[in-house]
Amino acid sequence: MRRGIVAGLAVVLVFLFVSVACAVNLVVWSSPDNADALHELAQNFMQKNPDVQIEITPLSWEVLYPRILQDLTSGAGSFDVTTWDLMTAGAIAPGMLDLEAFAKEHPELVDPNFDDEDFIPTAKYVYGYWKDKRIGYPFYGAAMFFFYRKDLFSDPALQAKFKAEYGRDLAVPKTWEEAKEVAKFFTKKFNPDSPTEYGIALMLPRTHTLFYMYLNFFGPYRRSPEGIAKFGKVDLDWGDYFTADGLPAFNSEEGVRALQDMIDLMQYAPDPLGSDYGETLEAFGKGMVAMVPQWTACLASWKESPLLQPFEEKVGVAVMPGGAPVSGGWGLGINAASKNKEAAFRFIQYATSKEGDKIQWLKYRIGPTRKSVVEDPEVLADSPWLKEAYIASLDGASHRPRIPEEPRLEDILVGMLSEILLGQQPNSIETLNLVADEWKKILGK
Amino acid sequence: MQRVGFLMILPLLGVLLGLTMYPFGYMVYMSFFRYSLASWEKPQFIGFSNYRDILRDRTAISSIDFTVLLLAVAVPLEILLGMAIAFLLRDTFGERVFRSALLIPMMVPAVVAGIAWKMLYNFEFGPVNYFLSLLGIPKISWLGTQFFSRLGVILIDVWQWTPFVFLVLYAGLQSLPRDIVEASFVDGASGFSAFRYIEFPLLRPLLFVVLIIRVIDALKIFDIVYMVTFGGPGSSTHSYSFYIYKVGVSFGWDIGYASALSVLLLLAVSLLVNLLIRMLRLRETLEL
Repeated sequence: MRRGIVAGLAVVLVFLFVSVACAVNLVVWSSPDNADALHELAQNFMQKNPDVQIEITPLSWEVLYPRILQDLTSGAGSFDVTTWDLMTAGAIAPGMLDLEAFAKEHPELVDPNFDDEDFIPTAKYVYGYWKDKRIGYPFYGAAMFFFYRKDLFSDPALQAKFKAEYGRDLAVPKTWEEAKEVAKFFTKKFNPDSPTEYGIALMLPRTHTLFYMYLNFFGPYRRSPEGIAKFGKVDLDWGDYFTADGLPAFNSEEGVRALQDMIDLMQYAPDPLGSDYGETLEAFGKGMVAMVPQWTACLASWKESPLLQPFEEKVGVAVMPGGAPVSGGWGLGINAASKNKEAAFRFIQYATSKEGDKIQWLKYRIGPTRKSVVEDPEVLADSPWLKEAYIASLDGASHRPRIPEEPRLEDILVGMLSEILLGQQPNSIETLNLVADEWKKILGK
Repeated sequence: MQRVGFLMILPLLGVLLGLTMYPFGYMVYMSFFRYSLASWEKPQFIGFSNYRDILRDRTAISSIDFTVLLLAVAVPLEILLGMAIAFLLRDTFGERVFRSALLIPMMVPAVVAGIAWKMLYNFEFGPVNYFLSLLGIPKISWLGTQFFSRLGVILIDVWQWTPFVFLVLYAGLQSLPRDIVEASFVDGASGFSAFRYIEFPLLRPLLFVVLIIRVIDALKIFDIVYMVTFGGPGSSTHSYSFYIYKVGVSFGWDIGYASALSVLLLLAVSLLVNLLIRMLRLRETLEL
């Protein structure tokens, strides 16, 4: 009897050892905001594919891009799969696996239910391609949205007072001009009866945040019929900061007006230059402000906020004033130096599948990239606003450059924008020309 | 015998050269190249172009501004406060407790300190503004205005590094021969006279060493800026070392330009330290 147990245990141990030794170990690098969702998707995938072990390594946003680039250029192959920010597409593309070529070489690995046409077209390109190379599948769809206090906007007393003061109905602003009036109305300093201390929370620190926040204001000018006539169509690689010819577009009357819109709104916001993501999230969550431009990831935190309950009645989501919110988001791709390309390919197909996309949104508020998920009844029951605001925001989104020089261009512009908002530099075309000249020099134009 | 001694230290010398001289030499070498990982191109020799570009680089020049301010304000404050605390704490009741408590800021990792101070400086919910409001002072935007963000970073630096100055000078004070001071009291010297003419001159070598260490450290300030202000608002708290990090890492490993920036920082540190050594006649004082 005892011998039988020992033998049985030995067999189990040998089996475990063999299965661990034979398992493919995938190393997945991820930004922290994607890590929890990826972890669950990895668990699901491993249950269906016991031959694969997946290790998710979250790396902070500031660290992830340099680490990816360092690994790709050296060919070290320290990771198999990574989430990559859409802005880094141009820099990392040479070291990433071309998924279309790989799928053609390995048709047996292609999931017949993957449905590549289901991706939202803009998302498919910006989170997937650099030029003609498919460097990833769309993982995290994102544009900024305009969150507002639904209960305050529908309050009859506030509506009457607003109409008496401004001669129009109190409504969620559709332009930044309207936003200024509404923000003033909800700021105690200008309206002592305001139920909130400030009208709007703005995050304008000297970080990459300012680079994308400015685009929420410049985008509407750049994408207006006049803007298109003046600057040409937007190229998805060069983004809205550039003309169709690849020259800076922000050093213009439109660029100055966009900055003026920001300056005008700052007086209705708590500490805009000293606030970043966390501060504005907190300001809205604690009921201090009536409106805030933010990413969808905030929803998870606000849903827990006692001051915002019942959530569906208190928080509304709309398209950004001006209708051209900045896009964000991540692709999921494979290191060309990976030794586990087959397993990695199977995993990224699952993570970006319809099932994965739906789990990500419902549990982690990671924006969907698939049309079928945005139209899914369960998803719409959970987030009815998606139908109105989501596709419109993604389709009309303004884009940051995806070219390799982006981080340097970003830092130069952010430095100057911050100085202008601080009042250290005049808001003029001449000031913005200084930045444009530096950009042109870096780009060799 | 001498040859054996040389052979014995040869491995250590090799490690030392490998870890210091080689990276230094490589940095100087790379500063003459255009080489950025993001471009996926091989290094290209460009002579002094990187150095010429620095002279026209607005961000690099504005970074010097804040670095010099920090050097001029934070370091003297730390020396004065550290020295004052060392003298005041000596032979007082609860000396051991205070001594241990004072060392805490120095032991806190800069990243943790940065997060803590960012919360303390929070405009709406931060304890600093709360306590100031009890005194009737309106809310201060510690991270959103030039003056206060600079003051904020200087205060953190002083908070973090005054204990170091205190520790060195306090240890120095303990080692001073007490009989000389006591003899001066017998001769009618006041406490201040004893400090002015006996203790301070005896402590001077230590003070100079502390000063030089702090000058070098202040020129390299990075972590607090990275964690608390990220150089803003505008270029208010943008330090030179922080800029080197951004160019060298965040911009996609622009190794050539970051190397040139680093070489200039090294030159500035070396010049300043040598100048201090000459001005303070440190060679004679420390018998170098």
